[in-house]
Amino acid sequence: MRRILETLVPAAPLILLFVVWESAARLGWAPPNLLPAPSLVLQRLLELLPDGEFLHHLGQTLIRLLGGFAIALVVGVSLGLLASRTGGGALITVVRVLAPIPKIALYPAFVLIFGYDHASKIALVVADTLFPILLATFHGARAVEPKLLWSAWAAGSGRFASLFTVTLPATLPAILTGCRVALLIACVTVFLAEMISSTDGLGHLLSLAARSFRMVDMFVPLLLISLIGLLLNVALQFARKHLLRGQS
Amino acid sequence: MSAQAILQRLGAPLTVLVLLTLWELAARALALDGFPTATESLAQLPAILFDGQSLQSIGASLARMFAGIGLALLVAVPAGLAMGRNPTLARMLNPLLSAAYPVPKAALMPMVMLWFGVGDLSKILVIFLGVSLPLLYHSYHGAARLDDKLLWSAAAMGMRAPARLLRITLPGALPEVLLGCRVGLAMALIVMISSEMIARQSGAGDLLFNALDMALYPDVYAMIVILAALGFALDWAFEHLRLRLVHWAEPRQDAASGGNS
Amino acid sequence: MEKRAMIEIQRLGKSFRIAGGKRHVALEGIDLNIREGEFVSILGPSGCGKSTLLYMLGGFVPPSSGSIQVQGRPVTGPGPDRGPVFQEFALFPWKTVLGNVMYGLRQQGVGKREARERAMALLHKVNLASYADFYPKELSGGMRQRVAIARTLAYDPATLLMDEPFGALDAHTRTVLQNELLQIWERDRKTVMFVTHGVDEAVFLSDRVVVMTRSPGRIRTVVDIDLPRPRVRAELLVDRRYQEYVVELERLIEDVHHERDAEPAPAPVAKTTLKVATR
Repeated sequence: MRRILETLVPAAPLILLFVVWESAARLGWAPPNLLPAPSLVLQRLLELLPDGEFLHHLGQTLIRLLGGFAIALVVGVSLGLLASRTGGGALITVVRVLAPIPKIALYPAFVLIFGYDHASKIALVVADTLFPILLATFHGARAVEPKLLWSAWAAGSGRFASLFTVTLPATLPAILTGCRVALLIACVTVFLAEMISSTDGLGHLLSLAARSFRMVDMFVPLLLISLIGLLLNVALQFARKHLLRGQS
Repeated sequence: MSAQAILQRLGAPLTVLVLLTLWELAARALALDGFPTATESLAQLPAILFDGQSLQSIGASLARMFAGIGLALLVAVPAGLAMGRNPTLARMLNPLLSAAYPVPKAALMPMVMLWFGVGDLSKILVIFLGVSLPLLYHSYHGAARLDDKLLWSAAAMGMRAPARLLRITLPGALPEVLLGCRVGLAMALIVMISSEMIARQSGAGDLLFNALDMALYPDVYAMIVILAALGFALDWAFEHLRLRLVHWAEPRQDAASGGNS
Repeated sequence: MEKRAMIEIQRLGKSFRIAGGKRHVALEGIDLNIREGEFVSILGPSGCGKSTLLYMLGGFVPPSSGSIQVQGRPVTGPGPDRGPVFQEFALFPWKTVLGNVMYGLRQQGVGKREARERAMALLHKVNLASYADFYPKELSGGMRQRVAIARTLAYDPATLLMDEPFGALDAHTRTVLQNELLQIWERDRKTVMFVTHGVDEAVFLSDRVVVMTRSPGRIRTVVDIDLPRPRVRAELLVDRRYQEYVVELERLIEDVHHERDAEPAPAPVAKTTLKVATR
């Protein structure tokens, strides 16, 4: 009983919001063509989920999102680890110039260079998620206790090998924190890119629905991408718990 | 020491120079229609910057952006600080915030335009939403981390709650709040550009896609350069302001400011 | 039996650059020879550079001047002939107890199965076999330091470099670990350099105690501890010679504490042999 209450209390504001919104739509306080009832949006989402075409759009979005994130993860972690060993002065200088640039402005260039398909969206996701991961890795690796490395070197580990046997696992908490930020950014980025110019994907579905003012269909992809963001976050928390079971 | 300082000074311009050179070389090597050289693109800068209409368009974008930021500062910072000092309020609002975080704010543009029209109000509102979340988050954490005793002594001196929020909590949480402002500023620019790219009504993002539609590729890249420079300049200016405001606070490693010790 | 010098330290110095372009001299003119199988403690107040001396011996920190030779070869970096044990344990938090002890063996190219067997044998020796699958955070301080010692012993270094290894432990655990360390040392007779600021610990464990001054760190004197081994704490505590060593070293440390920074350089390594009454 107590446990149920404890899980319900934090959910209460969300439930309240849902109820107010639902009643606003049902009781006609807001015109239904402007504000659809959330139950309708949810129902439509459940209807669409087994639909092949809808799943195709969802798949396209996920490929771009996860593909871009994976590239940024590999490049960001490698560069961050290497830069942490070499001092990183040059890297930080470049990052100071590139990080504050609004990456979405680069999207037209990516479209021109990489075309309208996956590549331009993936490039944008990489551009947007690289710096959070890179910086988290770099600062995390620089903060690794030197005595851990000394212990490894004394035990016969080479400098380069210790990058993977010591620096990487010791930096993992920081990297995972960077990943958390990067995954959320990736969801938002891929969705916006698909809204701006695309022929498929969840973002494209919203733009399509907006053109014919189908309110419920506009909310469905928006709800879904938000849920994907939340789910990825939960998945990452699980991964974190498993990967960091030795580190508190 | 001084050689390093000079190198650090020159670091940013040098980086830009290297990037432009790489761009020039890559564009010449690839020779794509959609990838003009740096020199071709930069040659379009004066035409855009001295054109009244373009300038007005960019100016209007920035005006909306600052309106959105101002609104967010007025609403989100006090709300965040109050959350930080009031655990019940925090418990109420935190689930809403975590649910709102992954929603792409600029993607709300089509809905918001249907509700509030195609004018400035919709765009300002979306920017406000985008800036509010990081501001709320950082203000909340800044205030929550504050030492209770500071506020107890203020209360003992007879200071009322609203005054305490303004005179004790705000300055105490300022370093964290300003960190939120920095994130918020970057977010504002992103939301501004992407919402204009989605809505295609007016503004810098619209300008960019108009050039793309008309296949004026050097203009597209010139606009990108302008927006990139804007992002860099805003961040640079804000960092100077921030360091002046919180020079008393302990140094803290954050996003783009990693000193090389 | 005369043993050859395991470690030869000559005119060793270390200085750091501090704010304002000045240099802080941490260590100066250190001359010290340590014989193979000898247990030497470095005793001194905090800030005398005794840990820095140990780090230079380990090859973790480069010296500013002078030279260190181990078994006739100059030290250029860390190596498995010199195994460190730190006050902070410095265990790999992402590895289990067994994983930590296996690490050095795996780095030396020992196969997984053999490494596991040898690590388990070591864990039996330090009474931690039943904790093999625990993570360091789940252990007490004393257990963590046992794991750290086992991790270092695993790759069988000729020299142990111990940096205040029991400094973070409570008094009881400290004496238990001192006894265990002595047992291990009496069995293996490794060369040990043991940094500490505990006088009784230094006397109890060592063949020789090097007393250091601070700002800059120099060797004040070296005291030979002529006590029979194997040493049993209960017997030593009532031994007059033990008591006299402790009192004498306490006095020396107190002197060092009272010396002002601007004290002129002391004579190079003076070797003091205490006059000890024989029963």
